[in-house]
Amino acid sequence: MAATEEVLTLQAEVAQREEELSSLKRRLAAALLAEQESERLVPVSPLPPKAALSRDEILRYSRQLVLPELGVQGQLRLATASVLVVGCGGLGCPLAQYLAAAGVGRLGLVDYDVVEVSNLARQVLHGEALAGQAKVFSAAATLRRLNSAVECVPYAQALTPPTALDLVGRYDVVADCSDNVPTRYLVNDACVLTGRPLVSASALRFEGQLTVYHYGGGPCYRCVFPQPPPAETVTSCADGGVLGVVTGVLGCLQALEVLKIAAGLGPSYSGSLLLFDALGGHFRCIRLRRRRPDCAACGERPTVTDLQDYESFCGSSATDKCRSLQLLKPEERISVVDYKRLLDSGSPHVLLDVRPPVEVDLCRLPHSLHIPLKHLERRNAESLKLLGEAIREGKQGTQEGVSLPIYVICKLGNDSQKAVKILQSWTDLDSLTVRDVVGGLMAWAAKIDGTFPRY
Amino acid sequence: MVPQCQVEVLYFAKSAKITGIRSETISVPQEIKALQLWNEIETQHSGLTDVRNQVIFAVPQEYVKLGDQLLLLQSGDEIAIIPPTPPPPVSGG
Repeated sequence: MAATEEVLTLQAEVAQREEELSSLKRRLAAALLAEQESERLVPVSPLPPKAALSRDEILRYSRQLVLPELGVQGQLRLATASVLVVGCGGLGCPLAQYLAAAGVGRLGLVDYDVVEVSNLARQVLHGEALAGQAKVFSAAATLRRLNSAVECVPYAQALTPPTALDLVGRYDVVADCSDNVPTRYLVNDACVLTGRPLVSASALRFEGQLTVYHYGGGPCYRCVFPQPPPAETVTSCADGGVLGVVTGVLGCLQALEVLKIAAGLGPSYSGSLLLFDALGGHFRCIRLRRRRPDCAACGERPTVTDLQDYESFCGSSATDKCRSLQLLKPEERISVVDYKRLLDSGSPHVLLDVRPPVEVDLCRLPHSLHIPLKHLERRNAESLKLLGEAIREGKQGTQEGVSLPIYVICKLGNDSQKAVKILQSWTDLDSLTVRDVVGGLMAWAAKIDGTFPRY
Repeated sequence: MVPQCQVEVLYFAKSAKITGIRSETISVPQEIKALQLWNEIETQHSGLTDVRNQVIFAVPQEYVKLGDQLLLLQSGDEIAIIPPTPPPPVSGG
């Protein structure tokens, strides 16, 4: 027993050191790349007008040049156009790739984040070797390999109110490829205040949306969505899945709208919203409302005359990967370290895993009982029976009068708190103590068992 | 009595998660005010209250305000409920 424990402890320690080492290596690689990038000159001047295409350019862009709608004039416009890409993730990667390939003059790339292995299934400009490096540097390096004539300007930072107006004002067209609500409003307001067209796309699960805001008298994002969603409804847990090719389709459609604006053809989705349903294979188009005369940003008497604090306006963060809820008191929670100790002591309890089945299929603690949060919310009879049985079984190991603790676990420790609240509200369980495991299974993987899968 | 018609309600993004379905056919009066139509749907799916101020309500294929506007519906019309979808953060739970 003692020997097994030692083996486990050593394995965990080795895994932790290995993780530390690879993290250091990634930071070193990122620092090296950042050093090279800082030596590059960040252009601020407008692109000079271009009078003619070179022989090489004619060959390179020949397939699109012979399209009468584009032609030489359209290509020359592309070559002198600049596009700001906000977000170099699932949408920004394919978008920037096609814009660079098509010969757009300058691409500004904004993203504060670094490349992670879990990005690679959809963020197609980043390669395995660049994990840990800033996404904008990784994207810029790939784009330069693709088309060395395109000027790529990486901004390895979040778009923020103090910098957004200046940055947006330096570009002709803006593509919102961001993944959070505060940035959507920030980009919109910056585009309205600087008079830039905004091509906006998003993708989630098997769905995508695309529209062009603030173009030719059409509505802006605030005209369509004047109020941000309540913060608690965007605290997503377990619903962040997306199929890479869906973001790819949307990013490409977004690139198409950007190209049409930049080349002078005009967009197709100003004032209308394209909905893509990848499971059903449907494209639908919805006519949006007109510009709102009382819009806070683009209306007749706008109240948004400067950029605001969008994180407090939306009640959510622009940079947190997942907002941590604080629904429970500290004494209603347990750390993974303390839970491990309790588990090793053999103390009777029930570990309740409330993740959706699809996540439990990925990984689970073998002794856990699985009841999805959704079933608890709906008081699913079958699930209640399972829980009752587990409690009865667990109680056989406890002394009379001693309550059986239930520990609730999920991926990161938000849904588990919601589940504790639900279980606490059930009066028939009042002889039980219910706690949740802080940080969930990802904390378990980070601190207790380095071999446990992360996702 | 206004005759009824069968319309298809499509739920996108967050609204599909709330209702647990992506579409359904419902029976509603052929003439109905936009707000009443929304309320009919919300009665069936109370969770939609959370998103009512943040959705595009499109009847058929066109944005309508949740107000007194009288809608003339036909069987087979599509009604779409579209919340904004900045994808929620990929890690979660």
